[in-house]
Amino acid sequence: MLSRLTRLGPTLPRILANSGLRFVSQSPPSASAGSATLSELQPPHAKDSDGHGEVNHYLKNPDYHGFSADPEVDQWNMRLAFFFGISMTLVVGGTFVNYLPDHGMREWARREAERLIKLREAKGLTLIEEDYYDPSKIVLPAAVEE
Amino acid sequence: MLKILIPTLFLIPTTWLTPQKWLWPTVMTQSMMIALISLTWLNNSSESGWTTMNSLIATDPLSTPLLVLSCWLLPLLVLASQNHLSSEPSSRQKTFLSLLSLLQVFIIMAFSATEMIMFYVMFEATLIPTLLVITRWGNQAERLNAGIYFLFYTLVGSLPLLVALLMLQNCTGTLSLLVLHYSQPVTMAPMSSKIWWVACMGAFLVKMPLYGAHLWLPKAHVEAPVAGSMVLAAVLLKLGGYGMMRLMVVLAPTSKEMAYPFIIMALWGVVMTGSTCLRQTDLKSLIAYSSVGHMGLVVAGILIQTPWGLTGALILMIAHGLTSSALFCLANTNYERTHTRTMLLARGLQTALPLMTAWWFIASLANLALPPLPNLMGELMIISSLFNWSPWTLLLTGVGTLITASYSLYMFLMTQRGPLPKHMMALPPSFTREHLLMALHLLPLMLIILKPAILWGCFP
Repeated sequence: MLSRLTRLGPTLPRILANSGLRFVSQSPPSASAGSATLSELQPPHAKDSDGHGEVNHYLKNPDYHGFSADPEVDQWNMRLAFFFGISMTLVVGGTFVNYLPDHGMREWARREAERLIKLREAKGLTLIEEDYYDPSKIVLPAAVEE
Repeated sequence: MLKILIPTLFLIPTTWLTPQKWLWPTVMTQSMMIALISLTWLNNSSESGWTTMNSLIATDPLSTPLLVLSCWLLPLLVLASQNHLSSEPSSRQKTFLSLLSLLQVFIIMAFSATEMIMFYVMFEATLIPTLLVITRWGNQAERLNAGIYFLFYTLVGSLPLLVALLMLQNCTGTLSLLVLHYSQPVTMAPMSSKIWWVACMGAFLVKMPLYGAHLWLPKAHVEAPVAGSMVLAAVLLKLGGYGMMRLMVVLAPTSKEMAYPFIIMALWGVVMTGSTCLRQTDLKSLIAYSSVGHMGLVVAGILIQTPWGLTGALILMIAHGLTSSALFCLANTNYERTHTRTMLLARGLQTALPLMTAWWFIASLANLALPPLPNLMGELMIISSLFNWSPWTLLLTGVGTLITASYSLYMFLMTQRGPLPKHMMALPPSFTREHLLMALHLLPLMLIILKPAILWGCFP
């Protein structure tokens, strides 16, 4: 059944395409069983690319952070990433954004509305007049026959 | 503005002149400092709305969140690509970083352009570095096809846009966004005004993408390397949304009737792409289709042209940018370990990588628009304004929300829960770099909950 998967052509993931490779150990008999399983997960060319297949960085550097094979660069990269990313941008930048002035006076408008509502409810007035302009002050022209 | 543009442009000499040993930390640090300075753009304190002005470039509350998002994304691209590029020759690594920096310059200039032709040129210019990244650093042979779809879909949509912009320049005498709001509506015969509307909007609808013109997106997102997928999903799609929001002011009143079929198409796209997600076997393809669905809601929100619709569209664009980019990073952490994107083969990972499951969980919750994350706030505003336009849209948006929740949950359960396949024996544990990358995506998303006013744009 696995061979029928070849109808998927190039969209077949490589790990299934090497179905012949999968179940046959290619490592020499003296190698440990663990490395045989690991090498099956790699694309076939990885073994040939100067041994740059799946390198376990933790063997040389137990404190590997995922940045670089060189331990000093790895540690500095981690420090810089955390400092500039979290401490500077999220914390300092976040504080800056938090204290930005009230754009478009929206917060002022909300506070002013709440203040006026409280005031008018205490006095028993209607919260807002229906007419924007005072109707007694509007002078309409007399109706003219066209 | 120059304090952002010059350092970004000079990231290119930085990459070429830094010794290989310190290349990645240096580029990442410089791009993070640029991101820190870009936060000053959020201080929009001008009466007219436009700040940071010179004759070519200005920012206003609509473009500022998008600019900050794209500036924040560059260090994340660098962090995400560090591992899979480490085995490549030095000149290829430097070329990759230079392409990302150049892309960033074009994106910044596109979002801050005051003149529509400059926006158009930058909009097109972003295609080239992205095409190079997809076709030269993608992993499968399909990347060539993906590059062709990506390039030609956008180009075919945007040539009519060029003609339409030149026509607008002819009629109004200016294409400056600062005065375009105040120009007289362009009078022409009804049929030609409809064609002109489609010409103006076509490029952006393809870019968003609108369902129906979306075929380039799953290909491009899947075949691109992780940095390509991240920048495509987080920023380049939003170029389309931004362009639509800017240009629609001159298109009234034709928009009243012309928007109708596209709103319906967008909402139908939400349902259809959501259903497609439920049937995907490829993880990156699932995330790509989910982007189409979310952007469908954004398209509908923009076409509605009400303050709530536009605000919801902007909030959803920013929230989706962070969420989608986070999901692509998570998919890449899987891919680097298992070398497969097929979900059936890379499942049950909670047993092997439990800490990453926490990030998968938060990212999936963000994708399904869990309150109080801004994803929900944007979606809710768009759904409300759509309901106001026509109550029947609630059927489509409701079903769409339901399906979105289903496939987000499906993605989480497929990748994390269930039995770990027997061939997964030697997976390296999650690195500090990967945890940091996820934190830098999702913490800003959570911080936005505390100050949503920065995302409201110039509308309410």
